[in-house]
Amino acid sequence: MSTLLELSGVSVSFDGFKAINNLSFQIGEPELRAIIGPNGAGKTTFMDIITGKTKPDEGRVIWGDKNISLLGLSESQIAREGVGRKFQKPTVFEAQTVRENLAMALKNPRGPFDVLFYKKTKRGAERVEAIAEQIGLTDSLTRLAGELSHGQKQWLEIGMLLAQEPRLLLVDEPAAGMTPAEREKTTEMLVEAAKTRAVVVVEHDMEFVRRLNCKVTVLNEGSVLAEGSIDHVTSDPQVIDVYLGR
Amino acid sequence: MSTPNRSFLAQNPSVLWFLGFLGLFTLLVTVFSEATGTGVISTSFVKTLGKILCLCLIAIAMDVVWGYCGILSLGHFAFFGIGGYAIGMWLMYARTEGIVADSLAAQAIPPTASELSDAVASQIFGVVGASEFPPIWAFAHSLPLQLLMVVLVPGLLALVFGWLAFRSRVTGVYLSILTQAMTLALSLWLFQNDSGLRGNNGLSGLQNIPGFEETPQALISIWFFWASAAALGLGYVLFAWVVSGKMGSVIRAIRDDEARVRFLGYHVESYKLFVFTLTAIVAGIAGALYYPQAGIINPAEIAPIASIYLAVWVAIGGRGRLYGAVLGTVFVTLASSWFTGGSAPDVNLGVYTIKWTDWWLVLLGVSFVAVTLFAPQGLGGLVDKLRRKA
Ligand SMILES: Nc1ncnc2c1ncn2[C@@H]1O[C@H](COP(=O)(O)OP(=O)(O)OP(=O)(O)O)[C@@H](O)[C@H]1O
Ligand SMILES: [Mg+2]
Repeated sequence: MSTLLELSGVSVSFDGFKAINNLSFQIGEPELRAIIGPNGAGKTTFMDIITGKTKPDEGRVIWGDKNISLLGLSESQIAREGVGRKFQKPTVFEAQTVRENLAMALKNPRGPFDVLFYKKTKRGAERVEAIAEQIGLTDSLTRLAGELSHGQKQWLEIGMLLAQEPRLLLVDEPAAGMTPAEREKTTEMLVEAAKTRAVVVVEHDMEFVRRLNCKVTVLNEGSVLAEGSIDHVTSDPQVIDVYLGR
Repeated sequence: MSTPNRSFLAQNPSVLWFLGFLGLFTLLVTVFSEATGTGVISTSFVKTLGKILCLCLIAIAMDVVWGYCGILSLGHFAFFGIGGYAIGMWLMYARTEGIVADSLAAQAIPPTASELSDAVASQIFGVVGASEFPPIWAFAHSLPLQLLMVVLVPGLLALVFGWLAFRSRVTGVYLSILTQAMTLALSLWLFQNDSGLRGNNGLSGLQNIPGFEETPQALISIWFFWASAAALGLGYVLFAWVVSGKMGSVIRAIRDDEARVRFLGYHVESYKLFVFTLTAIVAGIAGALYYPQAGIINPAEIAPIASIYLAVWVAIGGRGRLYGAVLGTVFVTLASSWFTGGSAPDVNLGVYTIKWTDWWLVLLGVSFVAVTLFAPQGLGGLVDKLRRKA
C-alpha cells in the first residue's frame, strides 16, 4: 500500500474562525478509512480542501505517484486527476434519467468537443449496466433520478462516483436517512469499492463505522484527535469526552 | 459541424415534425405570395413572415443558452443587431457605389478610384457630417468579407465577453445584468455620430439588393423568406443535435447544478463559453437575414428592451424545448402586431376605455408574470400535455 494523498499542516479559517487547524492526514491505495467527529469538526471542509472547493490558508496537499500539489488545480482538474466526491446531501441530476446520470459520469474525455461528437459505445453501455447492477438500480435506468427514493439517490450518486473510476473516493455521510437494510447494502458497496482504491467515509453512525471495519480518524476542532482501530479510538478518553460521551 | 445522421432524426421525431410544418408553411406562403403565386399574401406581409422566421431563429438560440444551459443572457439581441449592421454595411456601400458611379459616368473624364470612394463616403456619411470611410468599413466593399463579419464579430465578442464573465464565475442575476450592460454600451456607442455607423440614422435602404435593382420587391421578399425558412430549419436541426445526446445532458446538468458538474471533472466554463458563442453566431446570422427584410437598422433596435422581449418569448413559449421558443415567438409577435396595429377593438369599461395600442405592453408584462408563476412550462407545456394524452 503506497501513499496516495497526503495533507500536511493544513489550516483554513472563515472570518477568523479556524475550521481546519494544522491538519495532517495520509491515505494509501487501496485503503478504506472512516472519519468521525462532532458537528462542525471540519469533516466537510476537509473534503472541500481536497476537491479544490476551498483553498487552504496554509499547508500542502500532495497527490499521487508524482507527488503533485492539488492546490494549484481547479475542481474539474482535481476530479480528472481521479478524486471523486459524494456530497452530504445527495446531489444527482433529478431532471435526467438514471442512465443519463451514469453516462455523464463515465470516465471519458471531458472537453466540450469530445462530448459534442461523442458516440455511444457498446463498452460504455455495458459499463452503465454493470454499475446499475452494482447499485441495485438496473430496473430504474430509464426513470428520472428525481423519482428515486432518498436511499436510491444516494446509491445513484455512489454509482456515478464508481463510473468516474476515481483513485480516491470521498463519501460524506452516505448512510444518513437510510433504513437499516439500505445501510447494510451501502456498507457492502463501500467495502467493495475500497478493494481497488482509496475510500474515505465520513459518518456519524458508530454502528455503520464499526461495520466498515477499518482504520478510523477522529477529527475535532479542525485537527486529528485520535487515529487507529475502532476499538482503540472509542476507548480513548479524549474521544469519549468530545464526541461519544455526549 | 458533422451532419446529423439518420439515427439522430429517427431518435428525435419532433425535429421531423418541425421540419414538416416549416416546409408546409413555406410552400403555402410561396403559393399565395405575389411573386410566385396567387397574390393573396401581400409583399409586405411576406416580409413580416420572413422576419418572424428570423426572430424564431434567435429565439431557439436563446432557448439553448437560457432554457438548456441556464444562462439568462439579456444580450443576444446585440449579436442579432451586429449581424444586421454587418450585412447592412455591404448593402449600403454597394448600392451607393452603383448610384454614384452611374452619375459620375456622365463626366468627360472618368473618375479615379479615390474620387469615387470619396463621393460614396460623402453620400453615406453626409447625414453625420463626415465624408470619409471610418476604419470599420474597411471590408464593406466585399460581400464575402462582410458575410464573414456576420459570423466573426458576434462570435468574437461573445467569446471575449463570455470568457471574462464565466472565468470569474459570474452567474445568475449578475450575469444577466452584465449582458444587459454590454447591450446598453453597444447601443449607446452606436447612437454616437462618430461611431462610424451613422449614429441614430442607422443604415437604411437595405431592402434594395445591389445587382438586383430591376428585380421587383415581391420576388426579393420571397427569396429572403425562403432563406429565412432554410436558416431556421438548419438552425433547428443544429440545436436539436447539440441539446440531444451527451452534450445536452451536460449542459442541462450545468443549468441545474454547475458545482456538481465540476466535481464530475467537466470544465463548466468551457461549456458555457461554447454554448454562449455558438448561439451568438446564430443570432448574428438571424439578424443578417432580418434587416434586409426590415429595410432599416438603427441603434434603437439593439436597445436593452429587445433582449428582454426575447426572454419573454422564450418564457411564454416554454423554456427547454426548442419548439416552445418558436411557438412563443410566433404567438407573441403576431399578438403584438394585432394589438398595436389598431385591429384589436377597444374595451369600453364605462369609466375608462382600454386602448390596446397603449395597454398591450401591460398585457404582455402581466402574461409574462402569469406564465412564470402559474405555467412555467409555457405554451410548449400545453403541447406536451396534448401529446401525452394522444
Ligand atoms: N464556507 C464557509 N463559511 C463560513 N464558515 C464555514 C464555511 N464552511 C464551513 N464553515 C464552518 O466551519 C466549521 C466546520 O464545518 P464543516 O461543515 O466542515 O463541519 P462538519 O464536520 O462537516 O460538520 P457536520 O457533521 O455537521 O457535517 C463549522 O463551524 C462551519 O460553520
Ligand atoms: Mg459535514
